[in-house]
Amino acid sequence: MLRITASGQDDPFRNDAWRYAEAFEAWLVSRPPALEAAARPVASYEKRVAVTSELMGVLSGEGWARYGWPAEVGGLGGDILHRAVMWEALARHGLPAMALFEHLEILAPTLVAMGDRDFVAQVLPRFLRGEERWSQGFSEPEAGSDLASARTRAIAVDGAHVITGRKIWTSWASYATWCLVLARTGTAESRHRGLTAFAVDLRAPGVEVRPIEQANGTDELAEVTFDQVAVGPDRIVGELNGGWRVAMHILAHERATFGWFRHSFLHRQVLDTIAHGSPVGDTLLGDALLDLAAVRATSHEALRAHAAGTTLGPRAAFVKLLLAASEQSVNDWVLASDPDLAVGLQDDHVAVCRQEYLFSRIVTVYGGSQQMQLDTIAKQILRLP
Amino acid sequence: MTPVTEQADHEFLDAARRALRAPAAASAADTAGAADPLDALGWWDLLPELADRDARAAALALFRAQGRELSTSAALGALMAQPFLAATGLSPGSLVAAIGRRSARRGEVLVVVGDVTEAALLIDRPGRGAAVLGRSEVELQPVAIAGQLAVHEVRADLSTWSPTVEEKQAEPARARGRFLGRLALALEMLGAAEGALALAVAHAAAREQFGRPIGSFQAVRHLLAWAQTDCVALESVVATAVRLDAATPPGHDEVVKALAGRNGRRICERALQVLGAIGFTREHSHHHFHSRVLALDSLLGTSTELTHALGARIRETHTDPAVRAAVLLPNPEP
Ligand SMILES: Cc1cc2nc3c(=O)[nH]c(=O)nc-3n(C[C@H](O)[C@H](O)[C@H](O)COP(=O)(O)OP(=O)(O)OC[C@H]3O[C@@H](n4cnc5c(N)ncnc54)[C@H](O)[C@@H]3O)c2cc1C
Repeated sequence: MLRITASGQDDPFRNDAWRYAEAFEAWLVSRPPALEAAARPVASYEKRVAVTSELMGVLSGEGWARYGWPAEVGGLGGDILHRAVMWEALARHGLPAMALFEHLEILAPTLVAMGDRDFVAQVLPRFLRGEERWSQGFSEPEAGSDLASARTRAIAVDGAHVITGRKIWTSWASYATWCLVLARTGTAESRHRGLTAFAVDLRAPGVEVRPIEQANGTDELAEVTFDQVAVGPDRIVGELNGGWRVAMHILAHERATFGWFRHSFLHRQVLDTIAHGSPVGDTLLGDALLDLAAVRATSHEALRAHAAGTTLGPRAAFVKLLLAASEQSVNDWVLASDPDLAVGLQDDHVAVCRQEYLFSRIVTVYGGSQQMQLDTIAKQILRLP
Repeated sequence: MTPVTEQADHEFLDAARRALRAPAAASAADTAGAADPLDALGWWDLLPELADRDARAAALALFRAQGRELSTSAALGALMAQPFLAATGLSPGSLVAAIGRRSARRGEVLVVVGDVTEAALLIDRPGRGAAVLGRSEVELQPVAIAGQLAVHEVRADLSTWSPTVEEKQAEPARARGRFLGRLALALEMLGAAEGALALAVAHAAAREQFGRPIGSFQAVRHLLAWAQTDCVALESVVATAVRLDAATPPGHDEVVKALAGRNGRRICERALQVLGAIGFTREHSHHHFHSRVLALDSLLGTSTELTHALGARIRETHTDPAVRAAVLLPNPEP
């Protein structure tokens, strides 16, 4: 459908996200079969990953998903605004979630900015095609909010590193092929100065992934153990002992620009529930829509800042707080509109509503808890004593 | 990540704040008083230029400054009357719109904000057109209202109604006037809420209990961080609406105004909690900011009404009220 010009010189979309948006919209209106397959509620995460991976294959094949990524790593150029347009339109046309392709907007920008060029040029296209998938291994049983206390070790041996330790709450690890692992390369007391980020192949010997069944019935989370897993030097992302910078770069995306992508699917959720709405919930819905308007404006500000090459900084905390608030208020209204989710799992739509509702109660924890975000604002923005 | 309000807008905001502070300083020094700060700012010259993004942003920044400085002017009514000027043949500033407000006790009440001694009044009656009434045709009753806001109720005999602007022409002008008025009110509430929050932040650093500043207690820090988050959300939403203007979806002025009322009240409440008892005194300035937010929330639809109506509209129409992603792009084509 899309004519991809190899030279790029006369590519009509690379420097024109508006034209890209119009063309992509026209493509979606033609209801491509891969979208039809993915645009329905699917309770099983395994199936959800499968249909979304397939959709990514088509989106990459047609070229759409390659915009927004540099040509050197397999993209077609353009910036994050292309990606923002693509996912917003997919949500509007019925896609219920990004599933683990969330990491295209949480992890991948940092991989591209800080990873080994050749390595990223190999793995990013596979990720964009849905053939490989990524996860983020930061948290440990003893290192939650206090991430700088992580203890997973990476020991230098013959020009490589050997990783041993345990990560937990690793989203999507059961379905992923790669994990970006934050491991200690400095002394035990080195805190944030002695951490390094490694891209680890989860298929390698010594890696074990144990899914964790969650309270909402899904198995997004997992525990990942590493027993003397060897990784080569091209798998270091950022600098040796520069892992904290890498983690902060990722978390800034997870807190700020990701708000745009995630909130697009909250709009989807509103539209998918609207038929069940009743006048009783009108104020709750109005409130949720105000919250969504706040996320849309602030996260768009973050997208534009990122596209302009500005570092995201502590203001990311605002978007993170607003996103979590909107996710909760949308789901407050969903519960009010469709109380079936509290008592039964009649079909996939109810099951997904229940998953999402319960998930929305924990969104104030992942990516740095609400309390951590408030601390950041108090200290770095309000400069309180 | 830079704040959404662009540099030029901030410069105008600062200039407006200085201008609004000037008359108070000047009248203290020489009793002859000073020039109207809106004249000094060249504000009236901006009114015919509202289609221009920069002029619009500057014109509306005045309201944020008014909230921040607790000053009052007839700018709101003048802004809302602007779309009627072509049909009435009047010039900017010579016509000020009265604003209808529903009282639970007295039904529809017309109010004007600021000093309107020099202007004719625009009385707009949806469905029946709009009329220009000279000052001699109306009676203005001052309303004792907190928030350092000059408000008058308008008494006029409307039994012999003859519209100056017929309904057909009045309808689009009214919609435009309300859009601008709601954005202006949202910005003034933002300014007032920021004023209340600034007092609380300063207090948290200065006030000591248990041998340390109260701003070192996490509970206090988090109250202020939430209030700041509400400010940032409101600023971002209203600045986006000012930038996009007519490219916003239908009813977006109601979203902006509802958010302003809700967040504005929440910010003032959190600031008050941090201030403690001193914040609940007449002597302390907090109540001026808080009362102004409450008063402005009551004009052109309260946040409660607008929030409920927004939910009802979306439920009934099955539409999505979000600003379209494509128009948010830096240089969208028209
Ligand atoms: C759905 C979900 C997905 C996740 N995905 C990932 C992932 O993909 N990769 C990954 O690495 N991690 C992931 N996490 C883990 C997440 O980053 C941690 O849960 C988070 O950092 C908090 O750590 P914790 O759960 O150990 O809570 P704790 O740090 O033990 O905190 C418990 C409570 O205490 C509060 N608290 C802690 N310290 C303070 C303090 N100093 N002041 C005030 N309050 C404090 C917290 O706010 C929280 O409310 C995920 C978590 C969830 C829920």
